[in-house]
Amino acid sequence: MKSTIAAKRRREGYLFILPGFIYMLVILGYPLVYNIILSFKNVNVKTFASGTSVFVGFQNYIDLFHNDTFLLVMKNTFVFTIWCLIFQFTIGFIFALFFSQKFTLSGPIRGMVLVGYMMPMSVTALLGKNMFDVSSGVINDLLMKVGLASSPIEWLLNGSTAMAAVIAVNCWVGIPFNMLLLTSGLTGISQELYESASVDGARWGQRFRYITLPLMKPAILSVLMLGFIYTFKAFDLMFVMTSGGPLNATDVLGTYSYTLSFKQYEFSLGSATAMVLFCCLFVIGLFYLRLISKEDD
Amino acid sequence: MQKRTRKQLALVLTGAMAMSMMAGFGASAEESTSDIGEPNGGAEVTLWHYFEHEADALNKMVKQYNESQSDIYIVPTYVSRDELMKQYTIGAVSGELPDIGMVDSPDMASYISLGVFADITDYLSDWPDLEQFYPGPMASVKDADGKIYGLPNNSNCLALLCNMDILKAAGIENPPTTWEELREVCEKTTNPDEGVYGLAMCAVSNEEGTFQYIPWLYGAGGDITDVDSDAGVEALTYLSDLVKDGLMSKEVVNWGQGDAYNAFLAGKAAILESGTWQIATLDGQDADKVNFEYQYVPMPKNGDNQATVIGGENFGVCAGSEHVAECADFLKSMMSAQNNADWCEIAGKLPVRGDAVELKDFWTADARYKVFNDSMEFAVARGPHESWPTISEAVYTAEQAAILGEKEPADALADAAAVIDPILAETPIAAQ
Repeated sequence: MKSTIAAKRRREGYLFILPGFIYMLVILGYPLVYNIILSFKNVNVKTFASGTSVFVGFQNYIDLFHNDTFLLVMKNTFVFTIWCLIFQFTIGFIFALFFSQKFTLSGPIRGMVLVGYMMPMSVTALLGKNMFDVSSGVINDLLMKVGLASSPIEWLLNGSTAMAAVIAVNCWVGIPFNMLLLTSGLTGISQELYESASVDGARWGQRFRYITLPLMKPAILSVLMLGFIYTFKAFDLMFVMTSGGPLNATDVLGTYSYTLSFKQYEFSLGSATAMVLFCCLFVIGLFYLRLISKEDD
Repeated sequence: MQKRTRKQLALVLTGAMAMSMMAGFGASAEESTSDIGEPNGGAEVTLWHYFEHEADALNKMVKQYNESQSDIYIVPTYVSRDELMKQYTIGAVSGELPDIGMVDSPDMASYISLGVFADITDYLSDWPDLEQFYPGPMASVKDADGKIYGLPNNSNCLALLCNMDILKAAGIENPPTTWEELREVCEKTTNPDEGVYGLAMCAVSNEEGTFQYIPWLYGAGGDITDVDSDAGVEALTYLSDLVKDGLMSKEVVNWGQGDAYNAFLAGKAAILESGTWQIATLDGQDADKVNFEYQYVPMPKNGDNQATVIGGENFGVCAGSEHVAECADFLKSMMSAQNNADWCEIAGKLPVRGDAVELKDFWTADARYKVFNDSMEFAVARGPHESWPTISEAVYTAEQAAILGEKEPADALADAAAVIDPILAETPIAAQ
């Protein structure tokens, strides 16, 4: 008798997750499967309407990895992601530590830092575009007024400075995000630990090294993972701020996939690019899930 | 992970999701609120366009048509150009298209190939007016088999717009007519201290960049089928040298045509590569900013060669519309000689049919429009080619690489030819 009750309960359980499962299947599963199929065909401006597209196996992927622009875009995506992670994590952590000190106005100021995170990315990108403008941008104006630059820096006209500019703007959004998550990690650490460590004579550096860091490890890892996922699939920032330019110097997988599909009507190549993006994130995502489940055990 | 941390994390992620969803709105189509006549009992058909200062004139014409018959009731909707192009591409898959759509002429071939527009050849076959249309614009609404998918609405081309105050201050009485003279004017008028450059143009990484490059390519005697010929290299070298020698701002690679126009208007450039439609804004919304004397001249000559580029918009009936015949009738009415002449006069554009030009002296009496009207003699069309966006990308990428000094003009153009030549070898540009 007992087992049938358990079986019934299990059936009920499946019933309860059914709506969520169907939702996932339709909203996430269908486009994903469609995209995978598309990436193995040769759908483009010629074959689209005539329905003459055929399966071409891995040809699109082979073409992509023989394409210099795609390889540059790949490199850009990793360069962008890694530098963003380094800056936004370090600065975000410092901010989190700073604001965890109880001083006057620490709460409101912390709230204000979040403004960058709350703005729609397209607005932030437009601000960035104007601020980094060669002749009328506020950044060149400031640099020249304080004497750090003798002539206007051509921020968005050179590949490397344009990349630096988009990284800077993305960090403006990423820092509050990191700060927020790390702060909640910090508040989870009992003050008593610090007090007893102080009694034992541990200095600030030692307390940070032996108490804060180990206890923050789960929070740090998930911040880095989520930060990676968010940054790696960047699109709106480049789309608005630089259009991927100059000369693809700030083109990332997201924007390149869009260009291929919607500007050149190379739908299959665009899908294959999106699949490469997806696979990179999928690996990171698996890693993240593994991490969480380990922590839960 | 701590429970509390998880909760806060969940909150943050939910917030982020909500934000990113909100960011997705904003880009929806903007319903027209202008007077288009009372509903006439006919079936409602949608018309998407990206006319801005011309929108009132369009609405007036739609109103007239809505009041003249009761088969269809046309509702025009403004959709920005980029958004409209995206909607056509998505619509090709989903089938959600307007009944009548506006399209930039070089893009039409791609959309015809994607199945966005309906074949309306049968509705036009007994229309005698068809032969009045100029062959260039007309070629852009046909596919390789000569089937017709729409009608051209207006044409424009490029010429040089000179700020005569700046030229005269530099001791130059007459606008340049040759490449050498243009270079000389640029040298004399450039003033780095004031941030004034000789020439302003658009070399942005989209179709506008290619549009503004074509007059130089063909003006040097070059051709899109052979972009890296000696003439092609000469054209690109001429432009990249202007930038290298500080006579044109490097920022042109980020300037759309509107940005270049604004720089000229602000007195930051002596000469602008300017389009027909900009006369209307000089007279209209920017009239109070024009506090200088200006003059239009045709694109300069290089030896015996002289060229400009044809721009313009077409209207087509979209595939899947339930009122193809009625919509085709509207297009015929919209592009009748009288309507085309009236519309182009109000909107500041060039007519697409010979008998429309003869109806008014607008294009010959106004010296500015005359420059453009005469320039149509040596204007070059882009395509038509279904892969024009890819060809175009190769062209503006080469132009940008040379202007930014990343590559020598010859190398940049060789890269462009490596993309373009195989495409044209497979499907040549249809002869006009």
